[in-house]
Amino acid sequence: MPIDKEISEKRKRQCMKLVEISKGIVRQAFERFKHEELGITWTGGKDSTLTLWIIRQVCMEKGLPLPKTMIIGEGDEFEEIEEFVGRIGKEWEVPLEICRNEDVLKAANYKLNAPVRVRDLNERNRAELKRIGFEGDEFPFEAESYVGNHLMKTVVFNEFLERNRIKGVFQGLRWDEHPARFNDEYFEFKEGGYLVPDHTRIRPILHFTEKDLWDTYAAFRIPYCVLYERGYRSLGAKTTSQISIEGVPAWKQDLENTEERSGRRQDKEKAMERMRKLGYM
Amino acid sequence: MAEIVSPGCPRGVPGNVEMPLAVERLPNGNTLIADAGDEAGFGSEIVEVDRVGNIVWNYHEGLKFAHSARRLKNGNTLITDTTNNRLIEVTPEKKMVMNSDEWCEGTGKLSDGSHLHYPNEAYELADGTFLVTDRNNDRFIQIDRHGNILWSYDKELHHPHNANPLPNGNFLVCDSDGNRILEVNRKKEIVWCYGDGSPHTLWWPRGALRLKNGNTVITDSKNHRVIEVTPEGKTVWTFQTEHVDKFYITHLTEEETFLIASTDGHHQVMEIDRLGNIVWLFRNYRRPAPIYARLTNGFFKEVGEDGMPRHWTLATRLSEGGGRVIWDTSHRPFPCPGLEYDRPGGLFLQQNIAVRVGETYRIGAEIKTVEVKGTACLHIDFYDAFGGSLYRDITEMPSGEYFSGTNDWTHDLFEVKVPRHATFAQIRLALNHSGIVFIRNLMMNPA
Repeated sequence: MPIDKEISEKRKRQCMKLVEISKGIVRQAFERFKHEELGITWTGGKDSTLTLWIIRQVCMEKGLPLPKTMIIGEGDEFEEIEEFVGRIGKEWEVPLEICRNEDVLKAANYKLNAPVRVRDLNERNRAELKRIGFEGDEFPFEAESYVGNHLMKTVVFNEFLERNRIKGVFQGLRWDEHPARFNDEYFEFKEGGYLVPDHTRIRPILHFTEKDLWDTYAAFRIPYCVLYERGYRSLGAKTTSQISIEGVPAWKQDLENTEERSGRRQDKEKAMERMRKLGYM
Repeated sequence: MAEIVSPGCPRGVPGNVEMPLAVERLPNGNTLIADAGDEAGFGSEIVEVDRVGNIVWNYHEGLKFAHSARRLKNGNTLITDTTNNRLIEVTPEKKMVMNSDEWCEGTGKLSDGSHLHYPNEAYELADGTFLVTDRNNDRFIQIDRHGNILWSYDKELHHPHNANPLPNGNFLVCDSDGNRILEVNRKKEIVWCYGDGSPHTLWWPRGALRLKNGNTVITDSKNHRVIEVTPEGKTVWTFQTEHVDKFYITHLTEEETFLIASTDGHHQVMEIDRLGNIVWLFRNYRRPAPIYARLTNGFFKEVGEDGMPRHWTLATRLSEGGGRVIWDTSHRPFPCPGLEYDRPGGLFLQQNIAVRVGETYRIGAEIKTVEVKGTACLHIDFYDAFGGSLYRDITEMPSGEYFSGTNDWTHDLFEVKVPRHATFAQIRLALNHSGIVFIRNLMMNPA
């Protein structure tokens, strides 16, 4: 169902301009890399779905199929996202590869928070743990922990690049989603190293604000996951994602004056005030 | 195996000026500098430097985070020994001839029954009495050599700094936490004020001086600038460097140049002319803490003989005399460290790490808190080539979650892109105000 938001012709033209900038980045990527060297990361969330939609527009122009697309199975997924990805994947003919760290899932007996013993993992995962400086004997299976995040996302991502010899990979990041993103570039070369292949990260929608994004969804009737209607603004793992405002669709929330990824503790402002009293620092 | 890319130097070496605060040019042309010392609480001293940078006199006996040193008419030096909460006077031969700890039968109390709390400035007035800024009592006071309070001002001040006498008999004072400069007369009336309280006009100002032309020069610390404002509040001159220089005090010399203390930002004292030219500079700093090639002992398995996690520094500079590292020995599979703290101010457990500009790092740990009144968090600071932080304020530093109260073990994860001009990072477990914070399984890797 398209978003129930009136978009004026003027705003639609503005959104079109933003989409055109993104398409320009995608076209450049197609010039710099062979089609089979390109990959897409998709989560079913609003950012990566918009990115996928834009890449698809360019592919349709060029009469090309979509590049190989990965989706990460962390073992803690929303059913709503799975349903959305399944439906849209079929409709848009996405060459989807569901990537999981099966070795870790098995060691955790596919149960969230179950302890994973390092010695039960395969050589690659053990090497990865060593690489990031993990010195424990076990860890609980949680996708959003440091170790979980690395094994279930980063390792799976690197393996996808390696397996498919991907040289350029599309990501749906935006400058305004997090302060750490402020200086990101459309094309960023990542030098490889031990267990990490050389690759370029391509970020076509960096310039979209959260509001631009939802207006674009509304203007072009782009499909989205139903969870956003229920008040989620940012989707991650099922057990750690939180509704921002119950029952208020993401696009009707105060996008410009509140945090997209507000922490668990909403009193951060107060805490900051106390910290400021430290004076010197 | 720890890999160090830049070694540190021994702590507390006399003459190593880590954090110059108050500064003044003496009649003989030398410069008197109060050095508050390093982040771990070592090396606070008073140094007198000649024109070519030789240290011709110093005093460091027992000082903790000393904020000011002023040469008296009798040739002695009056020192606010801030974390020791005392005021002392020492002779050129380093003999202590006055110590506020001895007042009121050795209790250190003043005539009103109070005790100095974070004194950060003291001047000698024309009649030989002292004007002392008593920060944590939110006041400035005129006292005699025996601790009798002759006059005081304690209205509308929030963490004041640098109260100083004016020729007209009034006083200038920085209401630092109120982001204002006040001129107060003897009747305790505010006769002039600059700053509307917002950090846009002044942010944590720590020095103010009145010029002969009637204008006021303000050291606007967190806006990293020195400004001159007219009595009407118009800014007519600004000095700023390309760095985030959180200047502390500006002093006017006979030659109408300004001496500016750069604090721990750039560990130096600059003398500048009206055009912003640096006409003299004193810097004698080596960083005590090493820089590691990567995060080292992030699981806190290695413990030093001093009971500290190895390769980590406990930064007590802002802890106002409190705070320590504790261990939860019942934690499995091995004990985990924490910070315990019992007062306002801040305590940090920190390590310097080499980083690459433009690289994005993912930082994460698990954190547990017990009755934290203020805030506990994991954050990261970045330093430029002069050893100065790239941030104006602690709340601008990239951080994980801010924890208050009691929280069971929580995963904390954040990403940061290394800003331009950064030469190394300092990762910190921070605790502000009282409580306990524990940390385990700290990791930091390129994202």
